[in-house]
Amino acid sequence: MHALKKPKAIRIAILWRTRRMLRKGGAAARKFMPARSSLSNVIYWVVIGFLFLPLFVLVLYSFNSGRQATWQGFSFEWYQKLVMASPELWRAFLNSVIIAFGSAMMSTIIGTLAAVGTARYSFKLKSFVSTMSFVPMILPEIVVGVSLLIFFAGVGLKLGLATVWIAHTTFNLPFVYLLVSARLEESDPSIVEAARDLGANEMQILFRIILPMALPGILSAFLTAVTLSLEDFVITFFVTGPGGTTLPLYIYSMIRFGVSPVINALSAVMVAGTVLLIYPMRNFLKVFAAR
Amino acid sequence: MKGADVDIVGVSKFFGSFQALKNVSLSISKGEFFSLLGPSGCGKTTVLRLIGGFEEPDSGTIAIEGKNVIGLPPDKRHCNTVFQSYALFPHLSVFENVAFPLRIRKIPQQLVREKVMRYLSLVQLEMHAAKKPSQLSGGQRQRVAIARALINEPSILLLDEPLSALDAKLRQHMLMELDAIHDKVGITFIYVTHDQQEALSVSDRIAVMNMGEVLQIGTPRQIYENPATEFVARFIGETNVFSLKILSIDGTKIYGEVDGLGPMFVDDETDAKPGETVLATIRPEKIRISADLPNTNGGRINVLHGIVAEPIYSGFQTKYVVQLDTGMMVTVYRQHANWSEGIPDIEWKDEVYLSFSASDMVIVEMHEQ
Amino acid sequence: MKKQVGLYYSLPQIMWLLVFFAAPLGIIIAYSFLKKGLYGGVEPQFSLEAYTAMANPNILIVTWRTLKMSVIATILTLLIALPCGYSIARSQNQAMRLFLVIVPFWTNFLVRIYAWIAILGNEGFLNDIIRALHLRSESVQFLYNQTAVILVLVYMYLPYAILPLFSTIDKFDFTLLDAARDLGASRFQSYVRILLPNIKSGLVTAGLFTFVPIFGAYAVPLLIGGKDSYMLGNIIADQLTKTRNWPLASSISMTVTILTTGLVFLIAMRKPREQKQVFDADPGLITPVASGGR
Repeated sequence: MHALKKPKAIRIAILWRTRRMLRKGGAAARKFMPARSSLSNVIYWVVIGFLFLPLFVLVLYSFNSGRQATWQGFSFEWYQKLVMASPELWRAFLNSVIIAFGSAMMSTIIGTLAAVGTARYSFKLKSFVSTMSFVPMILPEIVVGVSLLIFFAGVGLKLGLATVWIAHTTFNLPFVYLLVSARLEESDPSIVEAARDLGANEMQILFRIILPMALPGILSAFLTAVTLSLEDFVITFFVTGPGGTTLPLYIYSMIRFGVSPVINALSAVMVAGTVLLIYPMRNFLKVFAAR
Repeated sequence: MKGADVDIVGVSKFFGSFQALKNVSLSISKGEFFSLLGPSGCGKTTVLRLIGGFEEPDSGTIAIEGKNVIGLPPDKRHCNTVFQSYALFPHLSVFENVAFPLRIRKIPQQLVREKVMRYLSLVQLEMHAAKKPSQLSGGQRQRVAIARALINEPSILLLDEPLSALDAKLRQHMLMELDAIHDKVGITFIYVTHDQQEALSVSDRIAVMNMGEVLQIGTPRQIYENPATEFVARFIGETNVFSLKILSIDGTKIYGEVDGLGPMFVDDETDAKPGETVLATIRPEKIRISADLPNTNGGRINVLHGIVAEPIYSGFQTKYVVQLDTGMMVTVYRQHANWSEGIPDIEWKDEVYLSFSASDMVIVEMHEQ
Repeated sequence: MKKQVGLYYSLPQIMWLLVFFAAPLGIIIAYSFLKKGLYGGVEPQFSLEAYTAMANPNILIVTWRTLKMSVIATILTLLIALPCGYSIARSQNQAMRLFLVIVPFWTNFLVRIYAWIAILGNEGFLNDIIRALHLRSESVQFLYNQTAVILVLVYMYLPYAILPLFSTIDKFDFTLLDAARDLGASRFQSYVRILLPNIKSGLVTAGLFTFVPIFGAYAVPLLIGGKDSYMLGNIIADQLTKTRNWPLASSISMTVTILTTGLVFLIAMRKPREQKQVFDADPGLITPVASGGR
C-alpha cells in the first residue's frame, strides 16, 4: 500500500546514509549529561501530544460506525469499504506509484550524471549548474506549479499523467543532485587518482570506481525522490489532468467533495504504516537528523 | 595551618547505577596547589564538578570556606573553573570573554576595560584582546580561559585537565606559567590531571584516585617515595613489584623470600606477620645494573641475576628491561652520568647483575581486585 | 578536452531544468508584463496592468495578511521548536525523541490537514468533547478562520523548525553553559547570552524552512481557512483557474518568488560565513523536511 511503501523507502535511504555517518564518527556520546532543563522537557512532551493528537483522532474515528463524525460505536466497516469498494482510490494509488517510480528513475539518472560531472570536473558552467540545481528547492511550490501549468498550456501539452511525471521529475532533480553530490564529495579524490595510476581509463573509472562508491548516495537519492513524489500535492494539483489523479489528489477531492469515513480508514492505515516502518530504525534517526 | 578552604566529607555520587565516587573525603587548605590525579574515569573530574556546583553529591557534605555549599548553583559559589576544552565563547572576542563575568554583574564600562586589560596582561595577552578565540593558538586560548576564570577574584580556581589539549613542549611551558600565576594570585588551585609528571612538578599536595576512591593524599615526594598501594606505586612513575613471603621481622627490618629468586631484604614498616605474603616494590632508578657481581659488603643489599631483554636508549638515560632467571621482567634506569665513570656499556643479551638497597624498597598494599 | 567532459555529464540536467524550470519561470515573468487575454491566456502586447492590478486593495490586503500570518506562524513555530530542539539535543534518548517528532511529520500532508478538519469541524472531535461535557449545546465554529489556519500551519511546519534546531543545538558545546554559570550568569542569562548567539545559524535555517513554505501556502488556507484567511497562494490559484487572469497570476507569483528567494539570499549573503550553513544545509536535513511537506 502507499503508506507501506513510502517509509520503507526512507528507511533504506537512512540506513545507507547512517552507515556513512557511523564511518565518519557521530557526535560524542553524552552519557553523563542529563537534560537539566525540565521546562524544555515539559514543552517537548506537550508538543509531542500536539503532534500526535490528529493522528490519534483519525485512528479513533476510523473505527467509528455510522457516517457522523460523532462517536457511534466500534466497527470495521470503513476498512472493509477501503479494500472492497474503492476502485477509484486504487486507481489513484496505482497512478501515485507509477509517477513516483517513473519520476524517481528519470531524476536519478539525470541528477547523478550532473553530480558526477560537477564533482569530478571543473568547467565553465559548473557553478551555474550547481546554483541552478538548488534554486527550485527554495521556490514556493505554488510558483513551481503555476509556472509549469502556464508552460504546459503555452506549448500545448495535454495535462495528464505525463505532465505530472515531468513536474515530479523537475522538483526531484535538485534533491537527487544534492544527495549524490554530497556523497561524491565525501569520497577521497586520491581513490580516483589511484585507479588512474593503476591503468583505468575514464569509462572504467566511472563504472568501476565512481558509481559503485556513490551507490549509497544514488540509492538514497532515488528513494528520497520516490518519497517526495508520493507526498506531493500542490504542484500535482496544478499540472494534473484527466487520468492523472494521484493519491493525495484523491484524498483532497474526498475532503472537498463529501467526506466519506473511508478516508479515516485510509489515513489510519497510512499512519500505522508510517509508525511501524519508522520505529525499527529510530536509532538511526539521530545520525540522520544530526548531520 | 591556615585552615581548610574546601572540606569534602564522605561524598558519594552515582550516575544511574554507576558509582562515580565512593565515600570521598578531602581537605584542601587555603592557597594550596592541590592536584587530583588518576586515570580517566577515576572520578577526579566529578570531584571538581561537585566543588564547582555542576553536580550535586548523593551523600556527604561539601563546605567551601567553612560554609556548606550543597544546593548552591555554580554562579553562587566563590570558585571558578578552567574547563578542559577551555569553553571559550566562540561568538565573543577575547576581551568580551574575559569581560563576561563583569558584564553579568553590570560593572561600569570604564572599570571593565581596566580590569580586563589587567588580567589579560597577567596572562600576556593584551595584544590579542580584539581577536576571536578561533584565531588563537591552543596555549593562548588556555590563557584566556585562565584570565576569565580569575577575573571574578574567586577564592578557589578549579582546573580540569587544562593542559591536555596542548602538545608536550607547550604543556611544560604552560605548567610553569600556571605555577607562576598561582604564586602571583595566591588563591587555592585545585588541579585535575591524569599526567603524573604534571602533578608531581607543581602540586603542594596530590590526591591519587582510582575507581571513585581516594587511595592516597600526600606531597609529591610522599606519593612517589612512599606509595601506599600497588596502584599508586604503578600509576606514579614505574616500579618493580615482588611478591614477598615474610620470614622474619625485626622492627622495620624485614627478611623474606621471593619465589624462585631467593631471600630479599626490605626496610619498611608493615602490619604483616611472618608467614604472610606482601608486595615489595623498588623504583627502576634505584636499581644498579652492572656486568660484574657487585660487592655487597654484607650490607642489606639485594642482588639479582638476569639477561638484558631490551635496552631502550633515550638520550639522558637508558632503560633496561632485564629478564631474571625466573622469567620475571625488571625495569632499570641507568643515568648516563655513569658512563663517564668508565663502566663498560651494557648491551642486548648481556648477562647482568641488579643490586638495590633494602632501604629503597617499599611495601605497598595489595590492590583489591 | 577534460573541460568538456564535465559539461557533457551535466548537459541532461541543464537541459531539463532549462526547459521545465527556467523556461516556465521565464514565461510567467513574460506573462506578467503582457495584457490579459479575453478567455484566459495573454495578448502579445506589453503592459504593466498586471502589476498595477496588484495595487488593488483586495490583493494588497491579502499580501499584507499573508505576510502577517507567515511572520506570526514562523515566530510561534520557532518559539515552540527552540525548547523542543534543546530538549531532544540534551536527552539521553535522542533517537526516540526524534522518532516521535518525525512520525507525524512523515504522515501524508493531506492526511494531516484532514485530521485537523476532523478535530476542529462542527461535527468534529473537539465539539464532540464540548458536547459530551455539556459545556455548550451548539457546536463551536473552530474552522475557517485565521486562527485555525495559523494553528495548522504551525502544526505542519513545526518539524521543519525542530530538526535544524536540534541539529545545531546538538553540535553546541554544552560546557559553554556550564562556563557561563560558573562565571556568574543565571540559567536564563546563560541561554540568552551564550546559547542563542551560538545557534544563530540554526535559528536562521529553521526560520527560512518555516517561513518560505508558509508564505507560499496553498492547501492549508484553502481547506482550513475561510474568506478572511485567504493567502497569496490562493489568490494565484484563483486568478489562474477561476478569473483566468494569467498575467495577474504571474505577477503575484513573481512577487512571491522575489520576496521569498530575496529573503533567502539576503540572509545568506549578509554574512559570508553563514551562507555555507544555510545553503549547504546538508541534504540529510532538507530531505526529511521536504518529504513531509509536499
